[in-house]
Amino acid sequence: MAPPKRAKSSTPSAPSSTTNSTNIRKTNDVSQIVQHLYNNYVEQTPQRVKLIDTFMVFLVVVGALQFLYCLIGGNFPFNAFLSGFSATVGQFVLTASLRMQTNPENASEFKSVSTERAFADYIFGSLILHFFCVNFIN
Amino acid sequence: MRWSFLPLIAAALAGWATALSSTGTRLLVVLEEESKQSQYSSLWAQLKSRGYDLSFESPKSDKLSLFRLGERAYDHVILLPPAGKAYGPALSPKILLDFINSEGNILLGLTADHPTPAAISSLLLELDIHISPDRQAVVVDHFNYDSSSASEKHDVLVVPTPKSLRTDLKNFFAGKLPIAFPRAVGQTLGNDSPLLAPILRASPNAYVYNPKEETETVEDLYASGEQIALVSALQARNSARLTVLGSVEALEDKWFDAVVEVNGRTSKTQNSEFAKQLTAWTFKEVGVLKVGRVQHHLKSGSDGVLNESLYPAGDLNPKIYRVKNDVTFTIELSEYSNDRLIPFTPDANDVVQLEFSMLSPFHRLRLEPSGTTANSTFFSTSFTLPDQHGIFNFRVNYKRPFLSNVDEKREVTVRHFAHDEWPRSWNISGAWTWIAGIWVTVAGWLAFVAVWLWSAPAKQTGIKKTQ
Repeated sequence: MAPPKRAKSSTPSAPSSTTNSTNIRKTNDVSQIVQHLYNNYVEQTPQRVKLIDTFMVFLVVVGALQFLYCLIGGNFPFNAFLSGFSATVGQFVLTASLRMQTNPENASEFKSVSTERAFADYIFGSLILHFFCVNFIN
Repeated sequence: MRWSFLPLIAAALAGWATALSSTGTRLLVVLEEESKQSQYSSLWAQLKSRGYDLSFESPKSDKLSLFRLGERAYDHVILLPPAGKAYGPALSPKILLDFINSEGNILLGLTADHPTPAAISSLLLELDIHISPDRQAVVVDHFNYDSSSASEKHDVLVVPTPKSLRTDLKNFFAGKLPIAFPRAVGQTLGNDSPLLAPILRASPNAYVYNPKEETETVEDLYASGEQIALVSALQARNSARLTVLGSVEALEDKWFDAVVEVNGRTSKTQNSEFAKQLTAWTFKEVGVLKVGRVQHHLKSGSDGVLNESLYPAGDLNPKIYRVKNDVTFTIELSEYSNDRLIPFTPDANDVVQLEFSMLSPFHRLRLEPSGTTANSTFFSTSFTLPDQHGIFNFRVNYKRPFLSNVDEKREVTVRHFAHDEWPRSWNISGAWTWIAGIWVTVAGWLAFVAVWLWSAPAKQTGIKKTQ
C-alpha cells in the first residue's frame, strides 16, 4: 500500500504544475514534509481511493481494539480470537488488493482487469472470508 | 438320651427357631467314634432346630465323599479330630480346598488331647494359620483358668467374649458370660493374608505350653497372650468360610451349661450361645450380603450443556458415555438375616465406596443410602466423569472381616466430545468480543460496498484536467 502512495506524491512534480502548492523545496523539516504529504494526499487522491482508505482505517481500528482486548482479557477461547482478528486482517488485505487494482494510477499494470471485475473478485473473496470466520468461531 | 434334653433346649432356642443358612442345609459331621456323637447332643439339637440335615460319617468310611458327580454333596462340614493320625483319603487337604473353592463351609475342630494330623497342619500353614510344631502343645493360663476342673493343669481357659475387631465392624460374637475353652490348640495368624480374622483371642496371660518339656521354666515360647487366636476365621475370596476351632471340646454338652470358677468367682458359661454364633457365622446364616440391582445412567435433571448428546437421555446402563457427563450410580444391597433379606446398613464409621477406574481409580466416592425397600437398601451417588476417554469400570469393592465379599464391576466406554457437542461460541462469555468484532467488520464491509456502488461518478474526479 505504501509504494503507490509514495509514487503518487513524487510524480506531481512532472505533470501537474498548477493548482497545488507543491513547489518542491528542499527542506529537512519533518513537520513540513508531513504537511506536504498530507496536502498532496487530500488533493490528489481520487474519491474512490479515499473511500477505500477510510474503510481500511476503520478495519485497523477494529483490529487494534480486538487485539487490545486480547492483551487485557486474555485470548480464551483462542479460536474465537483468531477468528475475530483474522476477519479484520483478512478484510484489510482484500481491500488493499482492491485498492491496487482499481487505483487509476496503476491502470497500466492491470490492463486485463477492469474495475468491475476487481470489485466482483473482492466481493467473492470477502464472502469466503466471512464464511470462514463464522465457521471457525463456531 | 438326647430327647430328654430337647424341651430345655427348645425353650432356649425359641428365638433362633427361624434361622436358616443362606447356602443350603446339608451338613456333614465327620467323627471317628460313634460314642462321641452323644457327647455333643445339644449341638446337634441346636443345628437341627435351625433347619440343617445332619449326616454323620466316619472319616475312614468308604462311602464318604464330599463331592458327587462333580458337585458338592454337602453344603457344610464339621470336622471333629480323628482318633488316628490322619483323616483318610476322602478328606485330603486338596479335597478340603476344593470344597472351599466350591463355596462349601468348613468348621474344623482341633484339640490338644490328640496331635493334629500333619496334613491338616500343613493345610493350615498354606492358609497362613500357624500351629505350634510341638504336637502336644496346649494353651495354658495361670490366671484365668477354671479352678473347679483344671486346678493343677490350668488348661481350661475362661475367656471373655470377644469385642468388635475394629471400630467399624459389627460384632457377631458378643455376649455377657465367659467362654470355657478346655485343652485348646493355639493358633497364630500370619500378617500377610487379608482373608484371615481372629474370632476369639486368648487372654494376655495365656501362653502355649508343651507338657512334654521337662524344664522348670518355659523359654522360647511359641506364642503368648492375645497373639494366640483360639478361634480363627478364614473367608475365601468366593466368601466360603473356614473356621478353625482351637478346642472342639468347648462344644460338648457338659460345657454348654457348666459353671466355672475363676479366682473364686463362679459364673455360667457362654458356650451354648457361642456355639450358636460360631455355627451361624460359619454356615452363612449371618454376615451375608447380597447384591440386587446395579444401575448407572445419565443424571436426570442436570443442565443441558454437559449431558447434551445425540443419544437419548433416560437410557439405563448405557454402554457408552461421553467425557464430562454427569452420571448417577446406584447399587442395591441386602443383608441376609435369619431366613430373609433385610436392608443392609453398614456400621456408622464404615462407608461403602464406588471406584470409577481405568487401571487405577480416577474417583473414589462415598455411596450414600438413597432409599430402602423391604429387603434392601439402595446406595447411590452422582458425579462428573473425568476428562479422559477410555474404557472405565464402575466398581464396588466392599470386603470387610466377617461379611461376605461384594465385588461388582460394570464396564463402560467413555468417548470424546463429538464435533457438534462443543459449546457454541455465544455460550462462552469470553468469545463475545470476538463475535462482536466479526459482525462489526461485516457491517462495515456492507456499508463500504453500498457506498462504493452508490458513488460511481466518483471515478470522474481526479482525472488530470490538463490532458
